[in-house]
Amino acid sequence: MSAIDIKNLTVKAGAKTLVNDVTLSVEAGTWLTIIGPNGAGKTSLVETVAGIRKIDAGSIAISGEDIRGLSERERARLVALVPQNPLVPGGMSVRDYVALGRTAYHGMLRAPSAGDRAIVDSVIERLSLQEFAKRNVATLSGGERQRMVLARTLAQSTMVVVLDEPITGLDLRHQMDLLELLKKEVADCGLTVLATLHDLTLAGQFADRLVLLDHAQVVLDGPARDVIRNAELASRYGMQLRVVDVDGADVVVPVRS
Amino acid sequence: MTLICLLLAVFCGLVVGPTSIGTSRIIGSLFAHLGIGHSTLDTMQTTIVWQLRAPRLVLGLLSGAMLAVAGGTYQGVFRNPLADPYLLGVAAGAGLGATFAIMDVGHAVSTPTWTPLIAFAGAMLAVGCTWLIGGRGMSSNASTLVLAGVAVAALLTSAQTFLQQQASANSIARVYIWLLGSLASASWSSVNLALPYVLVCITICVLCGQALDVMSVGEDEARSLGLPVRRVRTLVIIASSLGTAAIVSVVGLIGFVGIIVPHIVRLVVGTSYRRILPISVVVGAAFLVFADTIARTAVSPSELPLGVITALVGAPVFVLVLSIRRTQQ
Repeated sequence: MSAIDIKNLTVKAGAKTLVNDVTLSVEAGTWLTIIGPNGAGKTSLVETVAGIRKIDAGSIAISGEDIRGLSERERARLVALVPQNPLVPGGMSVRDYVALGRTAYHGMLRAPSAGDRAIVDSVIERLSLQEFAKRNVATLSGGERQRMVLARTLAQSTMVVVLDEPITGLDLRHQMDLLELLKKEVADCGLTVLATLHDLTLAGQFADRLVLLDHAQVVLDGPARDVIRNAELASRYGMQLRVVDVDGADVVVPVRS
Repeated sequence: MTLICLLLAVFCGLVVGPTSIGTSRIIGSLFAHLGIGHSTLDTMQTTIVWQLRAPRLVLGLLSGAMLAVAGGTYQGVFRNPLADPYLLGVAAGAGLGATFAIMDVGHAVSTPTWTPLIAFAGAMLAVGCTWLIGGRGMSSNASTLVLAGVAVAALLTSAQTFLQQQASANSIARVYIWLLGSLASASWSSVNLALPYVLVCITICVLCGQALDVMSVGEDEARSLGLPVRRVRTLVIIASSLGTAAIVSVVGLIGFVGIIVPHIVRLVVGTSYRRILPISVVVGAAFLVFADTIARTAVSPSELPLGVITALVGAPVFVLVLSIRRTQQ
């Protein structure tokens, strides 16, 4: 059974079609990254999978359950989201922020239980956030903050994690660190990852499968190696690209025309 | 600490007044009411303490608690530090209702006992309009609701001004006094009128603290974390508005409590609504009773409007809070 099963999905905002008849399935325990030019519909697609956008046609099933039939709480136990621009409420401590990930388990009227707190502590430890646990979230650097958002997402204890541009604004080292952390979670816990990334080199290096989205539709879908080398990729971005093999890793280089 | 403030406020509310009655005798009377010992107060003093000061104290506590918790709740649900309990048109609606009643439009409701009921109806009508115009809370963004509140308040205030223009100087003065807010007309019947709403609404608001903490990451993210955002928003808006309307209809418009108390509390206990809301209930209650004690004793035997005191005390304290916040950041 696939972890994410998207069938003929259409999402609209007013008259504009953001996602047009997309069919896509992601095997459990694999990493699929969606690439594509700005405005292709990547964010709309992943936000719909995470349940914060309305489905206009088609269906999305997570671990076999149609998400439209689920309450917010039930859905949040199946899929967690790292949004593109997480809103970080100043004044809150890092531990309290990570604990927000347990909302779907303790409910809206009750505080986190001892079990919830134990899970929060273990995630904080796994992502090496202990020294920040008591700090005000507003005082973290970009890299620390993004690691904290990932911790909140993992505290949600879902088998499917959706990430929208998780490394935007981070320096190279922090980009790699965050993706390596996530890769480790995929390997250790069997997570299924659906991500969007702009960096084609990193997209190719970390995903099992790449999907190129353009004009709200799937254009290419296949193993990272093949998609990156496909001539269609460059034409969709409207520019020339070269793929260079550096010690076995594919590096995508833009070429000035 | 906050509880000591509250006890001190209760003490002020019962003991301080133009008629001096000994503390020990009031406490004796209090125990007599509980069935312990005998009261040494004469009939006049008993009336002053139990029919004037006590209901006024209770109404002050209820009003302060409700306005403070409603302000804190609105600040959380709209994620706007400037939100106050009158944000969705409660004040304008109640004001129009009270104007109607006091001017006796239609000559149908001549007794003053109707004023709170019609003010209450006006307040709920205003919030209802805001709710309908603002998309019944169905939109993904709460700011639509705030803007709808501005529109409704503007419309109702203009209607109120229009009505007042037709009125006699005497009824304009009465409307004006009502708008300033006062606990002077407090009685056990006004306590009874507001009490059920206020107790239920305060309880709901305080229970929603955890949910408001989740909503501090924004409504979309809160939804992805598993919070039924629309249901929470509907629940807390109904609770805050209903409680505020009940208070406004019996004491008029008392400004500043709803905005200043949660901010002071936030400064001390941090940003979690799980702590801010219950503590705001206590601090709000104490604050309003202290303000009322000043209002009824400062220029005794006449009284200052309560709204004047809350703003007079509130504004400088608020400036202080802001400057402390700035240095903390």
